[in-house]
Amino acid sequence: MYTELLVFACNWDGWSCIETATNLGLSYPASVKVVRVSCISRINVGLILKAFEFGAAGVMLLGCEQGKCHFGVGSEYITREYEKARRILNMLGIWEGRLILVQIPAFDGHEFVRQVTKLITEITQIPSPKYARGISPRPAQYSKVDSYL
Amino acid sequence: MFDLQNIITDTGIRLCLDCGKCTVVCPVAKYDVEFNPRLIVQGVLAQNGKGPMDEKIWSCINCSMCVERCNYNVKFTDFIRSVRCKALAEGAEIQYSHGGTPQTIMHIMAHSDIRQNRLNWLPEDIEVHKQSDTAFFVGCAPYFDVIFSNLGVKTAEGTKGALRLLNLVQIPFTLLPNERCCGRDLLLMGDRDGFLSLAQANMHEFRRKGIKKIITNCPECYYTLKVDYPKFLENWDIDVLHLTEVIAPLIENGQLKLGRLRQKVTYHDPCTLGRYSRIFDQPRRILNSMEGLEMVEMADNREKALCCGASPWVNCSVINRQIQKERLGQAGATGADILVTACPKCQIHLICAQKGSENNDICQIEIRDIFDLAAQSLLPQEVS
Repeated sequence: MYTELLVFACNWDGWSCIETATNLGLSYPASVKVVRVSCISRINVGLILKAFEFGAAGVMLLGCEQGKCHFGVGSEYITREYEKARRILNMLGIWEGRLILVQIPAFDGHEFVRQVTKLITEITQIPSPKYARGISPRPAQYSKVDSYL
Repeated sequence: MFDLQNIITDTGIRLCLDCGKCTVVCPVAKYDVEFNPRLIVQGVLAQNGKGPMDEKIWSCINCSMCVERCNYNVKFTDFIRSVRCKALAEGAEIQYSHGGTPQTIMHIMAHSDIRQNRLNWLPEDIEVHKQSDTAFFVGCAPYFDVIFSNLGVKTAEGTKGALRLLNLVQIPFTLLPNERCCGRDLLLMGDRDGFLSLAQANMHEFRRKGIKKIITNCPECYYTLKVDYPKFLENWDIDVLHLTEVIAPLIENGQLKLGRLRQKVTYHDPCTLGRYSRIFDQPRRILNSMEGLEMVEMADNREKALCCGASPWVNCSVINRQIQKERLGQAGATGADILVTACPKCQIHLICAQKGSENNDICQIEIRDIFDLAAQSLLPQEVS
């Protein structure tokens, strides 16, 4: 089963973990897509939900450790957005475990790979069919207008 | 197909005499000199509906002030909706407010396989009759409370108050566990496909539960279900009522007596309830029936009420902020303690303006929902 996972990685500690994993030659599933952002606080509820709307099976927010944000308050901000997004996912009936926040020290490639594979395993092994339901992808743009609105 | 001729006929746009009254009353034009309803129309007609659309079409807040004032009833808001539909289909880039969260939630809800878990906020003291053929349409208030939790918005309190009032007057109702958003915001921003999928999903849910009548406390849901759904859905036969239409007659004939509340309040007419749905008196009757409550009107009220500066969650800018500032200033000038409104979106936009003010130049009046206030008046109170 192809479990598409989107990782939003912070340019600082988060990205360094992914680079370390690459340099060490650690392997993780090819279905993991990484989006590098200048700070993880750039990501808000809207973008997280957008990923699910476009068919991601899971989303990982990979940021700096709590209180160690390069810009100051980014790590606290993303915690708030993460909590909000989880509550909305729960209300929408999507298993909130599909979204995780990972705040690990810089250059910890092993931990990144462990977390990614753990999330993929969890998503593929969700027992209840209710929560196994992913969101099927839909087109980003509406290409036609049938008739006058 | 985008058919300009049809749009011209349906909106009566050729009846425009160029008198300019729409621009004079338009709250956006007041603060944005480049926004002019007539010039937008002329621009579209001059190009015969071809070519890129004017970016200013996204600044309109659909408050319907221009339609209210127009002597020839030219439906500019409908015109804007149609051209937005075309612009969006051609890939217009829009500035979504709040990271596009509300639209994304609506798109996710539009999926047929979604099973929501949306009644967590429901307090135990509210009695729901699962077999009833009357549904209470909650709307997006529970979602708003999460999205705007950083603003301290509590729109679900209004819904709880509304349900308590219905319990008190013993009107049985059921709540739909998988109700979708009514889709009004998608319709206003020109996303016709998104709106239709939400409307069909809702229709399916109403049919499945055998719903004959819908009561709602959200003006946006009310107008969409009552006016837009019959236009878009075949065989729509459900009766839609706004809660003020249910409660106000009961107060008049003495079946419901609200409690006591020693406050000075002012009422903000939501555009969708007022100008669109013509419900002006009922909310005022509900407020006036509360003992000890002093009701004062703002400078612009009823048909002339200023919009809360809302748009369908797109293109929120400094212009909208200035409209909100003006509205809150009017509320402050009345000397009222509380600004009462009947629309969750008005509540959110005005609170957002208050919280966003940097140098405290915006009136920090308390903003409450009318049903929240009505339910509060019925609680046992301390004797002061």
